[in-house]
Amino acid sequence: MNTYVWLVKREFWENRAIWMIPAAIGVLLTLASLFGTVEATFFDSAERTRSMAAMMFLAFGALFFAAMSLYSYWYLLDCLYADRKDRSVLFWKSLPISDTATVLSKLFVALVALPMVYFAAADAASLLAAFVLSVRAHARLGNALWQPDLWLQLQAVWLYVIVTTAIWYLPVTGWLLVVSAWAKRAVMLWSVLPPLAVILAERLFIGTHVCLRAIDDRLIGYVSRAFDGDADWADSWSRDQPFAAPSAWHILDPLGFLSSPATWIGALVGAALIAAAIQLRTRKAD
Amino acid sequence: MSPLIQARDLGKKFGSRVALDHVNFAVQPGRIVGLIGPNGAGKTTALRAVLGLTSYEGTLEVLGREPFRERAALMSEASFIADVAVLPPWISVEHAIEFVGGVHPRFRADRARSLLAKADITGRRRLRELSKGMKTMVHLALTMAIDARLLVLDEPTLGLDILARREFYDALVNDYMDDTRTILITTHQVEEIENLLTDVLFIDRGRIVLDCSMEDIASRYAAIAVTEDQLAAARAEQPFHERPLLGKRVLYFERPDLQRLGAFGEVSTPSVADLFVAKLSRGAPA
Repeated sequence: MNTYVWLVKREFWENRAIWMIPAAIGVLLTLASLFGTVEATFFDSAERTRSMAAMMFLAFGALFFAAMSLYSYWYLLDCLYADRKDRSVLFWKSLPISDTATVLSKLFVALVALPMVYFAAADAASLLAAFVLSVRAHARLGNALWQPDLWLQLQAVWLYVIVTTAIWYLPVTGWLLVVSAWAKRAVMLWSVLPPLAVILAERLFIGTHVCLRAIDDRLIGYVSRAFDGDADWADSWSRDQPFAAPSAWHILDPLGFLSSPATWIGALVGAALIAAAIQLRTRKAD
Repeated sequence: MSPLIQARDLGKKFGSRVALDHVNFAVQPGRIVGLIGPNGAGKTTALRAVLGLTSYEGTLEVLGREPFRERAALMSEASFIADVAVLPPWISVEHAIEFVGGVHPRFRADRARSLLAKADITGRRRLRELSKGMKTMVHLALTMAIDARLLVLDEPTLGLDILARREFYDALVNDYMDDTRTILITTHQVEEIENLLTDVLFIDRGRIVLDCSMEDIASRYAAIAVTEDQLAAARAEQPFHERPLLGKRVLYFERPDLQRLGAFGEVSTPSVADLFVAKLSRGAPA
């Protein structure tokens, strides 16, 4: 167990971007809330204030989540490739650490540590901005932008999204680890070319689209699996009509997600790919 | 005593190229063995097999373990420096010490620190800021602070200047080597380690061509400097190699009858480097 703690620490030493990117985004958002224009009409009623808060919290969360997704993609591709590129893999392999432990530690960072860092940063930035805007708006508008009930719901959404995306995207994660453990160069290219080749080959030689549909569904099918599709709350907001902040408890669909066969087929494929990445890591010393 | 390393019928192919052609060798505890061969002879493949970095055919036992299956366990009792400059460039000296201390049960951090203090290397610097010679000393200090039964060095001083090379071997001999340790080493600079070695293994085109202790070299091989007029008679004794030297010709004999050969000229024990050249020169004696 202790070895895993050191392995995770190691990842934070090597990849300082794990916390520097969210910290930078947090600073930028705080600056924006400090110096951005606050329109008085946004806060002229309790209803509007609540709707503004919901918008802001969601926007902050989405921004952090988007940055995290991009960084995770890069991290997973790089994590078993960087040390082969600079040959330091020979140093890591001279230590009593199994290749399984190495790969699992990187998986842990990508699926648990990294999301928790972004989650914490999103919370810190949201609270800070809410505080700043409250003070600024209070001086002029008399309405505080402070909505603890909304904020608590957002915590639930974050945790739910962290867990469900980790499961749903496990095949993608596993595939990126395989590429990272295997490719001699150009990991980005290798991450997309083989799937594209398979799709094209299937289309040309068999004339079907099974792979395309499977990959397509995996990439964009998450929202429809993990959230309740009937809640078309996102479109309901307009300037005249206050945005009806949805209750998180109505849009999350954990039962639907967990009972979907696609969820578990994907998880199995992902686990197989992770096992393959461990094998590749064992066999390739550079 | 049972050997520390026992290879039987050890083979490895890369595609159709044979890197190790079913070799047998053993390394006894307490020895310093030089594995010597030209480029592409199979040295590195043999070392990688011993270290569990590559799969192989045949049987191989290192410290009673099967290296490829049990690399992590093996590395708690064996250590290696494969090539210079494979320490990760982003790590600081102090973090490297902390990390190895965290994951290695037989690592003594205080020992690593005192060795580094001797070499005037401070802890906060990152590896990428250090010269090649300093990097090597850091790696050596980390490795020497591990109480390992087997140390494997693969070209540990490649590309270093003569001062750094001397420093490296001085530290190895004076601060590390004792009766309980065993070292397996490959290098191109045979002359520099000749005095260290207790045994040599010559490897060429995937085969062991000489497996001999240093004491045995003196009794098994002789070099005789012969003048032109004695040459025909000396050649009749079937030397396995000859080369010109300062107007004379040096003839190399295996299992020589010194009583008779002494008559042809001055008899000496060939150096490891000379023996290496003599043994591995291709084609008939000139």
